[in-house]
Amino acid sequence: MTSPLVFVKDLVKTFEVQKKAPGLMGAVKGLFSSETVTLTAVDGVSFSLARGEMVGYIGPNGAGKSTTIKMLTGILTPTSGTLEVDGMVPFRDRRTYTRRIGVVFGQRTQLWWDIAVVESFRLLKEIYEISDHDYGLRMKEFDELLEIGRYLDQPVRKLSLGERMRCDLAASLLHAPPLLFLDEPTIGLDVVAKANVRAFLAEVNRTLETTVILTTHDLDDIEELCQRVLLIDHGKLLYDGPISGLRDRYLPEVRIRFDLKDSALSGKRLEISGIEAENLGQNRFQVVVDLRKMASADVIREVVNRYPVVDLSVFEPDIEEVVGRIYKDHGRALPGAPVSERPATQVRASSIRRG
Amino acid sequence: MKEVRRHARLLGLYFSQYAKARLEHRVDFFTSVFASFAGTAASFSVVLLLFSRFPHLGGWTFPEIVFLYGFSLVPFGLFNVVSPNLYEFSGRYLTEGRFDRILLRPVSPLFQILFESFRLESLQEVVTGTLAVVWAVRRLPDVSMAGLWLLPLWAVFGAVIYVSIFAILTALGFWIEDRIGIAPPVFNLMSFGRYPLTIYDLKVRVLLSSVIPFAFASFYPTVLALRKAEFIPFFAVVPFVSAASLLLAVFLWRVGVQKYGSTGS
Repeated sequence: MTSPLVFVKDLVKTFEVQKKAPGLMGAVKGLFSSETVTLTAVDGVSFSLARGEMVGYIGPNGAGKSTTIKMLTGILTPTSGTLEVDGMVPFRDRRTYTRRIGVVFGQRTQLWWDIAVVESFRLLKEIYEISDHDYGLRMKEFDELLEIGRYLDQPVRKLSLGERMRCDLAASLLHAPPLLFLDEPTIGLDVVAKANVRAFLAEVNRTLETTVILTTHDLDDIEELCQRVLLIDHGKLLYDGPISGLRDRYLPEVRIRFDLKDSALSGKRLEISGIEAENLGQNRFQVVVDLRKMASADVIREVVNRYPVVDLSVFEPDIEEVVGRIYKDHGRALPGAPVSERPATQVRASSIRRG
Repeated sequence: MKEVRRHARLLGLYFSQYAKARLEHRVDFFTSVFASFAGTAASFSVVLLLFSRFPHLGGWTFPEIVFLYGFSLVPFGLFNVVSPNLYEFSGRYLTEGRFDRILLRPVSPLFQILFESFRLESLQEVVTGTLAVVWAVRRLPDVSMAGLWLLPLWAVFGAVIYVSIFAILTALGFWIEDRIGIAPPVFNLMSFGRYPLTIYDLKVRVLLSSVIPFAFASFYPTVLALRKAEFIPFFAVVPFVSAASLLLAVFLWRVGVQKYGSTGS
């Protein structure tokens, strides 16, 4: 493999925030003292991305996600660490660098609100100095994939959210950037619109080999699109790997649900391999198997051998559940993340920073 | 040089796109133009009334006063056309977080802020001012032709001075949260340059020719045409003041963007 497109090593971002005492007296004091607190938003993050990769960057609100993205896009300067994308240092080379990236904020359009979409595209054509030939080619392509031709003559404010998102995606790719940042690209969209956006992204990634970094709270986006997921919390990277590995590592359990032939056992306590089965009503039972302790096959065998089973199914926890569990557990007892040892001055950045 | 040409082309495009969008609501647009004109006409007539009573105020004749006042409307109007976003910079761009989007484009941030929206109706000030100058020229016995020919260019220098001063004030928003607003009082100072500098005492003259060099935007540009010998050296300095204030504005914006990059606010 050639050198990575994105190279991040020991990336740190801290903010100095003025300490504010509560109340009016506090405000008066604030005028004279300049006591500051250091907040660590990103705390030693390292990863690298190869060309053509599509990764999900997830974490709860205030985990350091958007601060990382802002550093990667050249908006913020890192406090320390190395950051190099496509041979450039984003903040230092910002003006040139922005020509090599596309950015879509799901909640905020980059198109000019009052003018027709096509006019916005023409402005972008000039801003990014796209040749007539390339522009024509890409517009045709985007129309085929996104069917935006119909909206081009309308001002952005008249478009629905789904239509606007399609136009925004096209706008961000007009200058054919090798790297695309997407922040909540499916937020607020209906099922069909979500599917359209995902299909388009998969297609762009496949045909143009665009590298995509996706931050989202909709984990279906990640499951459908990303081979790899980065999980961040309290500014630290907790996980970097395939999404299935996330499940194995943080919520290694399956649920085995079975229906019995007669209702003789209904309401009775059943115990399988030392685990109590939960009666879900009538003849249906469920056991939750911790895969670290036993194999699901053993449990299934025991169930089938001991009871008159008519139907049996196995469920893996869905990814929402896994991530939900991580967010909930983290800060209490997560392996490899000594949160309690953090210095007391390090407040969660979420309390002061927007988005 | 290539970058300058590119930005000039972009400016034309930004302007025409904005104008197109604005003209879609024709009634609204013409109402604003009329309202803007009514405002200009009102303050202009107060001046006319006042100065017609004192035909030689500060050693200036009535047509000379009209010439100066009319001319001052031109850089002022040009400034008003591009300034709306400067006023809103702190709230609209820094607080609401729109500035991030500005930083994601390969175009100068200050350029984008200035030219993302326009106050088109203020173009009437340029027209009204020009008409007043024409009216005055026909009544003035002796006008320097060179001074007249240079006037449009000096009007642009003047507009650059106004824009730069406010861009400098706006850049302070990167460091301090300005709740009270230093812009409005400075804005009011602009009107001082509409009258002959000779009517003010020394302190005001020095202020308008140094710290806040508004006299270079509207008063000094007229002195060559009006043959005001004692002020003519200042006429020649106008382009330099204009360039210096622009450079300072661009510099402060650059430092401001750096500061934004390290604090994110």
